[in-house]
Amino acid sequence: MIAALKRSALLRETGLTFLSILAAFGVGCIILWAGGYSIPAVFLNLWKGAFGNKISIGQTLTQATPIIFTSLSFLIAFRCGLFNIGAEGQMYMGAIAAAVVGIYLKLPGILHVLACLLAAGLAGAAWGWIPGYLKAKRGVNEFVTTMMLSSVAIYFTDLLVAPRMVLHDTRYGSNQTVRVMRSAILPKLLRPTQVTWAIIIAGIVVFIVWYYLFRTRSGYELRAVGQSPKAAEYGGISVKRKLILSLCLAGFVAGLAGAGEVLGTHTRFISGFSPGYGWDGIAGGLIARAHPIGVLFSAFLMGALRAGSMQVQRSGAAPGDIASVLQGLVIFFVIAPTLIRRLIRWRRNR
Amino acid sequence: MNIFTIHLLLRTLRLSSPIALIALGETYSERVGIINVGVEGTTVLGALVSALVSYYTGSAWVAVIAAVLGGGLAGALHALWCIRFRANHVVSGVAVNILVAGLSLFITSALWGSRGTSASAPTINAWYIAGSALVLVVISQIFIFHTRWGLRLRVVGEKPEAADTAGINVYRTQYVYTIVNGMLCGLAGAYFFNNLGYFVNGMVGGRGFIGIAAMVIGNYSPVGALGAALLFGFADALQMSLQGYIPSQISLMLPYLLTVLVLAVLIRRAQVPAALGQHYIKQ
Repeated sequence: MIAALKRSALLRETGLTFLSILAAFGVGCIILWAGGYSIPAVFLNLWKGAFGNKISIGQTLTQATPIIFTSLSFLIAFRCGLFNIGAEGQMYMGAIAAAVVGIYLKLPGILHVLACLLAAGLAGAAWGWIPGYLKAKRGVNEFVTTMMLSSVAIYFTDLLVAPRMVLHDTRYGSNQTVRVMRSAILPKLLRPTQVTWAIIIAGIVVFIVWYYLFRTRSGYELRAVGQSPKAAEYGGISVKRKLILSLCLAGFVAGLAGAGEVLGTHTRFISGFSPGYGWDGIAGGLIARAHPIGVLFSAFLMGALRAGSMQVQRSGAAPGDIASVLQGLVIFFVIAPTLIRRLIRWRRNR
Repeated sequence: MNIFTIHLLLRTLRLSSPIALIALGETYSERVGIINVGVEGTTVLGALVSALVSYYTGSAWVAVIAAVLGGGLAGALHALWCIRFRANHVVSGVAVNILVAGLSLFITSALWGSRGTSASAPTINAWYIAGSALVLVVISQIFIFHTRWGLRLRVVGEKPEAADTAGINVYRTQYVYTIVNGMLCGLAGAYFFNNLGYFVNGMVGGRGFIGIAAMVIGNYSPVGALGAALLFGFADALQMSLQGYIPSQISLMLPYLLTVLVLAVLIRRAQVPAALGQHYIKQ
């Protein structure tokens, strides 16, 4: 099997990723064992919750949809050598923008949806522009500013929908807006599951991001900056503009994640709607090894872990948060390619 | 509204101490070339370990020591990944944050049956930790800039090849100070636990990242880091004083907004260690 893996770089990368995931699950088993939990029961429920029946597969896909966007958001910046760890906040900005356009702007059918998506993307892009500008012009660490602005966005959007504020739905006590107009809603795709058209949009955006990064001049330049800013500058690329652009694009895509949740899953903006999709995007982007097509797989994995963890929690086999632990472990193994290679070599030498 | 009182001053001193500890830790690790974004998660781990050990041993002082050791362990993990496995520093730090976030939810659920919150446990007066932060800053300032050990650690971050030629063990130096960074974050975590009396998810709430910001503004010097930490501590203290006068969302976002503004205005670029974030490969 190892000889076969060597044949192509793509196969090898994929193989290493799978081995990383296996290794992470192995460590997860040790943690479960140490905690006195039944390992088979946990994994059985994890599987049942993620793939057990139509509803659970739907749940996996529903959870995976925003993670596809946030993973793309992470990797666009990553390809330019930047760390966008504020996709969570950009998503909230996109979500509130989608809700405003969805509630107040009257447009016919598909145009309304497109307007909402555009507004969400632009709001996210604006939120990505600030750290991009500060990085390019002042040299401010983008991983600090994206993180800080993420918190600001979460409080800011919560403020807008709080009682007595403009966007608050006065019929309910909780911090949320009224429903968006019918024309702005992304319909359910596969009844009786919760899957909406947002997943189709996510798929299209995956393709667009792939095309942009690997088939256009601008995308090539963006990656060149990520590979070596000095060489890119020497080659005539404006590094500063690319840095700003990449964080704007990252913000745009993260904003779309928010639109998908507002127009599809919830049909309104609800404060705190995200259980951490922005953070999952970091894992998703890394597990995909920063490749857009790989995101389809990694986001699916993250979605399955989220869906499965709910069932683990319900069944009482273990706290559902074991899924978050697994996610963290997977990242550790995925980001240390030399580690898995070392393990393989060690096994062969014995 | 009379918010500018002696309480505000005391609160500022107190709230800036964990930020100062994190910034001081980050100063050590970045001075040897290791970026550690995992300080956020490391601090959370310190708080969690404090709660755990205090709860089970009943001794808050033992808990502080355990928190420092736990933080050191997280630092060691990060160092191992950055140095041995040549992982990207920022990515490895993010991984620490995500793993600890998951672990803290899992462990609190498993042990106390409530997701993200521990039971109350014995504490020490958090002023002890605030005081020790001040002492550690002063000692570190002298250590980094006025001892041969300090010179060695600075050379490792600036020119690892030269350090190697001069007989300094680059990898060992990097391990040691990244672990020191983790230990200082562990102590900061102990502050958060002892300040509140129990562990709750989100109690660190980005202070790790604010600590990195303080380190940057402090220009990679302990005293500078303390100065910046005092500024951020003041924002935190003001935020608490303002509660009730303005919407809570605005007061809560204040420290984060201020961090971005301060970074945008006060950043200076000259002092960044030359080999920061790079992997030194011994020839």
